[in-house]
Amino acid sequence: MNPGVLLIPILIPVIVAVISILTPRSIKGLREFISVIGGVVLVYFAWLLFDYKNLTLNLPWFDWLGFDLKLYHFNAFTLLWINIFGLLISLYSIIKMANHPRVGEYYFYLFLTVAFANGAILADNFVVLLMFWEGLLLTLYGFITLGNTENTQRTATKAFIINGFCDFCMIFGIALLWYLTGKASLSEISHEPVRATGLYLLSFIMIMIGALGKGGAMPFHTWIPDAAIDAPVSFMAFLPGALEKLLGIFLLTRISVELFVIKDTPASIVLMIIGSITIVLAVLMALIQKDYKKLLSFHAISQYGYMVLGIGTALPIGIIGGIFHMLNNAIYKSGLFMIAGAVEHRTGTTEMKKLGGLKDEMPITAICYLILAAAISGIWPLNGFVSKELVIHGAYETGFVIFAIAGWVGAIFTFLSFLKAGHSIFLGPRNKELPKIKEAESPFLIPMIILAVLCVVFGIYNYIPFKYFFEPLLEMHPEAIGHHYDFSAHALDLINPVAAVSIFMLLIGLVIHLYGWNKAEKRAYMASEVIHRLPVLSTLYDWSEARFFDMYEQGIKFLRGLANVLYVAIDRPIDYFYEKTVTLTGQAFTKILQYAHNGHYANYLAWCIAGLVIIVYVLLSIIK
Amino acid sequence: MVSLFILIPFVLAAFLPLIEKISKRFLPDLLTNLGILFLLIYTMTYGQQIVALERGIRQLQWFNEQLNITFALDGFSLFMLFAIYLVSFGVTLFSIDYMEHYGNKGIFYALFMIMVGGMSGLVLATDLFTIYVFLEVSAISSYGLVAYGLKHDELEASFKYLMLSAVATAFLLLGIMFIFGINGSLKLGDIADRFASGEYRFVIGICTGFFIFGFGLKAALVPFHSWLPDAHPSAPAPISAMLSGLLIKVSGVYALARVFLNVFGLNPAISTVLMYLGLISILVGAILALGQNDIKRMLAYSSISQVGYIILGFGAGTNLAIMGALFHILNHALAKGLLFLNSGSVEHSTGTRDLDKMGGLGKRMPITAATTVVGSLSVAGVPPLNGFWSKLFIIIGLLQAKAYGFAFAAILASIITLWYYIIIQRRAFFGKLKENWKDVKEVPFWMAVSTIFIALICIIIGIGFPVVISNWIEPATKVLEQGINFAMRWLRL
Amino acid sequence: MQILYLISILGLVVFSILAILIKDLLKAALSLMGASVFLAIIFFFMKAYYAGVFEISVVAGLITVLFVSTIGLIRSDDFKESKMPTIIFPLFFIWFIIIDILILSALVSKFPLPGFKVPEPNTFGEVFWHNRTFDLVGQIGIIFAGVFSVLALFRKRDKNG
Repeated sequence: MNPGVLLIPILIPVIVAVISILTPRSIKGLREFISVIGGVVLVYFAWLLFDYKNLTLNLPWFDWLGFDLKLYHFNAFTLLWINIFGLLISLYSIIKMANHPRVGEYYFYLFLTVAFANGAILADNFVVLLMFWEGLLLTLYGFITLGNTENTQRTATKAFIINGFCDFCMIFGIALLWYLTGKASLSEISHEPVRATGLYLLSFIMIMIGALGKGGAMPFHTWIPDAAIDAPVSFMAFLPGALEKLLGIFLLTRISVELFVIKDTPASIVLMIIGSITIVLAVLMALIQKDYKKLLSFHAISQYGYMVLGIGTALPIGIIGGIFHMLNNAIYKSGLFMIAGAVEHRTGTTEMKKLGGLKDEMPITAICYLILAAAISGIWPLNGFVSKELVIHGAYETGFVIFAIAGWVGAIFTFLSFLKAGHSIFLGPRNKELPKIKEAESPFLIPMIILAVLCVVFGIYNYIPFKYFFEPLLEMHPEAIGHHYDFSAHALDLINPVAAVSIFMLLIGLVIHLYGWNKAEKRAYMASEVIHRLPVLSTLYDWSEARFFDMYEQGIKFLRGLANVLYVAIDRPIDYFYEKTVTLTGQAFTKILQYAHNGHYANYLAWCIAGLVIIVYVLLSIIK
Repeated sequence: MVSLFILIPFVLAAFLPLIEKISKRFLPDLLTNLGILFLLIYTMTYGQQIVALERGIRQLQWFNEQLNITFALDGFSLFMLFAIYLVSFGVTLFSIDYMEHYGNKGIFYALFMIMVGGMSGLVLATDLFTIYVFLEVSAISSYGLVAYGLKHDELEASFKYLMLSAVATAFLLLGIMFIFGINGSLKLGDIADRFASGEYRFVIGICTGFFIFGFGLKAALVPFHSWLPDAHPSAPAPISAMLSGLLIKVSGVYALARVFLNVFGLNPAISTVLMYLGLISILVGAILALGQNDIKRMLAYSSISQVGYIILGFGAGTNLAIMGALFHILNHALAKGLLFLNSGSVEHSTGTRDLDKMGGLGKRMPITAATTVVGSLSVAGVPPLNGFWSKLFIIIGLLQAKAYGFAFAAILASIITLWYYIIIQRRAFFGKLKENWKDVKEVPFWMAVSTIFIALICIIIGIGFPVVISNWIEPATKVLEQGINFAMRWLRL
Repeated sequence: MQILYLISILGLVVFSILAILIKDLLKAALSLMGASVFLAIIFFFMKAYYAGVFEISVVAGLITVLFVSTIGLIRSDDFKESKMPTIIFPLFFIWFIIIDILILSALVSKFPLPGFKVPEPNTFGEVFWHNRTFDLVGQIGIIFAGVFSVLALFRKRDKNG
């Protein structure tokens, strides 16, 4: 197969993006048409490449650097899924974004994101990787600006700055790694992975920050809930829902398994700690949300914590669990966001207070929700159960039981919040103020149904993803060589201690929900108030609402304060100094030179001759 | 045939005034533009072939008798030809509409073609005196072109330019005379051969001084730069673009580089002097540009500053520095040409060049504003436009040559450059639209097309710079790096 | 012989300075003619006969005729020039000559003799047509450039030029 085929997943989306933005508004339907066609073509090529599994493309720029792309099993798998999600979102956007005033820009950003993501995944050296990674920053910003609330600009800037900071750390980490190993090619470094200690540890942490920031782990998560309100929901379904997690975990896995060896190093502990904290804190925040989209976004952050925890265990079972969870989360999270979009499209709102009893009018949506929510909560025998069990198993096996406990606690509250959301939106009394609505249109339903079906299939028939996607990945892991792992055999076992505890957690969640519902006078959306009002937690929640924990906000406040101090104490005096001395000197210098250029020919000639004499003198004295 | 590069411009020039008598509107424009376009394509196709085969020395045949004309078409010459025709094409497109102001386009095009032909000849020459003659050809036509508007300022500026150039070329001739006295021949190969032995250091020193004066004046190096801020603003906008963009580089920088790097060899003395001159030019040009109110004068000072970068790059002598300097020749020619053309557009629409009187023109003249932004950012060295890469290479080359102070000053000057370009942008195009400019119209068709064309090329070269570098600049760098050996092996025939 | 050389050089320099300094245009043009005559004499002394002939015919002949006829056609406006050049220039010039002599006497010893055997001087035709053919093209270009510049500068302005 011609290596040039590797360029296709990058070029086709660019072409579609350019056509989309150049088409005038008056031509209806063209953009949607070519975006779906483009999506199908991309999936086709991704499938071809997935089958082929091994391909390299080298376009040299200089002797020591070139445009290198390399396809191997891990990124073939990721490539396939990125493009599948791209297609699903294109289908979804046909209706959702149809009346948006800047729909051309939307498809432009969408396909550019796909192009850059494909390129970043296929990249084989740091420079190419960074090129595409940075491009994603720009499309992220552009995407968010498509929203139309008053805070849109602010959130877009916030997202840009947080991601930019993480990218900056990543660049630093990559530069350090390049300097330490002397190699810029990822495949070369992966032949001999380095232990993450000492200076290598610093490099690992820096690149890890980049990966964490991309996926939205704590503390780089604060823009996501804001974007849930201020950005279009199809953006939420695609980026924080699916793509960013794919990219973040892709990078994290590459560095944890291929480039570095993190087992028994501080790096592994750091990852697990960050993962656990993210799981618990994010899900606690999700619990008290009153808006469905915001609730989903906090869950996205929390689920990312599971993935990070899985990879951080550095054990095959945990890593596979983490990667599987990445895939599963992408499936059900984007589905749940699509449901949010469908509800918003029909009713005009996603605030749970205003919704209720929609199951009769949107039955298919409700069933999809049921399946997807069950999957995310980790209910047997869906895909979420399988991957969560693997992760928690892995955490347990590292010996630090506390991480497993974090995973279980997260499970309780995940289930709890989805019970609340489902109850408020689909069950319960029908809110009188809502007009009569119909089921969502088919471009909405088709992707949702596909995703729900995938949840079931990957759960029950979990040997399919294991055999085709994950087992080949194990050859990357040094420990796995020689062992034969068969995860799917025991994936759905209920008779082991870990699984038993998980199911018990789910029951606890159900009980709390029923209790809270009762206490809140049968208003489902208030069911989590009972947790909200718990003594320590309520203070933490209040602080959270006041953005006390938002690093970005705090950072901005601090910077403003610092700026004020600096302004008064340092800037004004320096300014005075500048004005009096530097500016005047500069002006004097300019005036002198201007005076010298007075237009007098004789003057000019004199300068020339003087210059000549000096130059000849200097030359003769130093020429040897 | 390599001789086409010289024949076509001169033949066209000879016939253009006659053609103008036949068809005033259409034919002169068409023929000139087609001629330059043909030469550009010819450079890119045939020229590339020749350079790749390294058969650049040609002897011309005429009726089976060997004529004593030899051309040198090596990587460096080819690159300069490419730059010359590319920028000239943009300028001739622009002149189709702009020169309606001045009338008598046939004569204008004729002088223009002579200037282009002179530059082509200079670049293809293998003999020191030939370089001198063709330098004079383009210089004399430029004197006429600068004074084309026939107003007081223009005539005065042209006269000053002429007189200063005359002194410079006199010293050039003096230097050539010394060299002839020692060598007996003026072929570049012979000179390099004899000077390689090292006994003639003294003569080399003096001749270097004279050549720096002569070529340096044409290149507007400080302290020989003073004619430029008077000459360039007064000339019609296309001519300012040609002068600032091409003439100072071909007749000044190319000749300097060719003689110093290929013939004399870059010894530390020449290197130091060139680097210091470059540095002073950068700083003086940048500082002086700050205080200007007239757009074209400011652009002229900026040219002085940018040529300083190029000379600094050549002086440093490392591979990357030379590559950066060569690339900057092309980039600055494009960007500065574009900026001067736009200043012409602004003058065409508003009738003034004074920044104090302008304001908010961007709303009424969006194409001009957008292309000016591209040009300004390119000269200031903002990624991903072309100017960024060339300046980066020069700075890295300086660091490789351990000239840290120079690199620092170069970066500082870049910041100042960005500063004053932003000032023009703001004062001329953005901000509130002044009342009297309410009815200003955008520029006519060909002027818009030419500026958009050049702006697009700036962007394309900025993004696709590896292609440009490997195709055009690396052969040129190889030529210059081989130094004296190149001239000796090659140019001796 | 030396004396004649010296006189010619002196004459050249003096007449050149006069050509710049004299206010009356006609006298200045004639000084230029005088300077070129002395230059031609120097050429003859150096056995460069062709150069001398060209010098006389072009400068002392053609150019002086052109200048004189042009001057005859214009009205002479009296330009008020500042007194400075008249005073400063001779002083500067004398000072320049002194420094010049000092430098040259220091340099002359360092200047190497021609390192090649002086070949037979070629005839003018040979040099012009055979050795320097490319320059001919350049010369033609210069002629055209000059002619067109004149045409451009003296064109009838059909619009507001």
